[in-house]
Amino acid sequence: MFSRKMVLIVGVIVLIAVNIIVLSISSKRYTTYGLERIAISFISPFQELVTNTMRFTRDIWLQYFYLVSVTRQNRELRNQLNQATGVNNQWQETELANARLRNLLDFQKTISEMVVAAEVIGKDPSAWFKTVIIDKGRADGLTRGLPVVMPQGIAGQVIEVSNHYSKVMLIIDRNSAVDALVQRSRARGVIKGESTDRCRLDFVLRKNDVRVGDTIVSSGLDGVYPKGLRIGFVTEVVEHDADIFHEVIITPFVDFEKLEEVLVVLEVQKHDMASRQ
Amino acid sequence: MSYCFNIGICLLLVILQTTVMPDLSLLDRFYDLLIPFIVYLGLSRPLREGLLFVCFLGFIMDNLSGSPFGLYLTTYFWLFSCVKLITQLLQVGKRLFVITFLVAAGVLMENLFFLGSFAIFTPEQEFAGDAFTIIAGQVLWALLTGAALLMLFRNTYNWLDTGFRAVWARKTE
Repeated sequence: MFSRKMVLIVGVIVLIAVNIIVLSISSKRYTTYGLERIAISFISPFQELVTNTMRFTRDIWLQYFYLVSVTRQNRELRNQLNQATGVNNQWQETELANARLRNLLDFQKTISEMVVAAEVIGKDPSAWFKTVIIDKGRADGLTRGLPVVMPQGIAGQVIEVSNHYSKVMLIIDRNSAVDALVQRSRARGVIKGESTDRCRLDFVLRKNDVRVGDTIVSSGLDGVYPKGLRIGFVTEVVEHDADIFHEVIITPFVDFEKLEEVLVVLEVQKHDMASRQ
Repeated sequence: MSYCFNIGICLLLVILQTTVMPDLSLLDRFYDLLIPFIVYLGLSRPLREGLLFVCFLGFIMDNLSGSPFGLYLTTYFWLFSCVKLITQLLQVGKRLFVITFLVAAGVLMENLFFLGSFAIFTPEQEFAGDAFTIIAGQVLWALLTGAALLMLFRNTYNWLDTGFRAVWARKTE
């Protein structure tokens, strides 16, 4: 009755219609039938394995490049850090030098004599003598015998002058002698070096009053150091029965181990400096 | 070559012990580094060459130090002379014990010269209380490092001399 061709066409049309109806129904609400769970349970471990492997590989790859870049970055940062540390150190040194020079400048304002600031560039090679080499010489107006001072007190005396450098004998040198006074009692004596970090105050009569802690200042009578400059303080007073003098040990105010910059007094005026300090 | 080497070493040692070493608290009381060099000159260099550098070093050190002028010159001269005399009496060669002894004796000799000069020229001044500690420390340092320094001078010179001769021979071929 119906040709085979006609049946095929109607079947296709019905299939399309059913398909459209099923799609229209399934698109309106989500339904599960349990099979999906089995499939998921079966497939997922493999998926996970592959995914993880891929991720691991990708991570290694990316990590490698990341590490390479981090290493490079690290190197650059290290260089920057080193440079920054160097600069920081320079700043700190400059700051310290600035503080020291400011201190020297403040001190320079308190003395009316003409002074020249100099830097210590070398120290005595022998343990028996205490001299330093400074970077100022005849060209800067230095001559032999000029006093060398610090804000803390007297440092020494110029003993050798070349064109641009000079040798300074420190007051702790065994050949050094400074005419001095005990500030409180005005007792007079001579400061002599011992080539250690201490000095002795010689020729102080026993009748004079000297106590531990007394400040010693220059008397100005030696014709080298301006009067009234601080030298050190008394750390020990020994009295011998048979001696007419005190044995007085002095610790200088200047730390000679850390001597870096000094002032050379070019013209010593013979008047009292104590009033100006 | 040897003159250049000697001048270089002299300057290096003098600068080292006047600028670097005073700032290192551990080496504050180190012995005079030029002593091993003087001993080296006495042991390994001809009389005329050695004497020239002994005078040069003595002059430099006398100028740099606060010592009375001529003290270093005297010390170095007598040390050099003693070493030269010993080399005529003994076969020193590379005997480490003898070299160590010579350097330590040199350091002791220098200190005794200094103390002797203090005693003779400034008898009114007392010696510093720690004089013995200073000398003992210096001699100990010399015993520990003196021979090594001397061998360093000797080996460096030999190495430079060999290299220089090789280059010179290649150039003249």
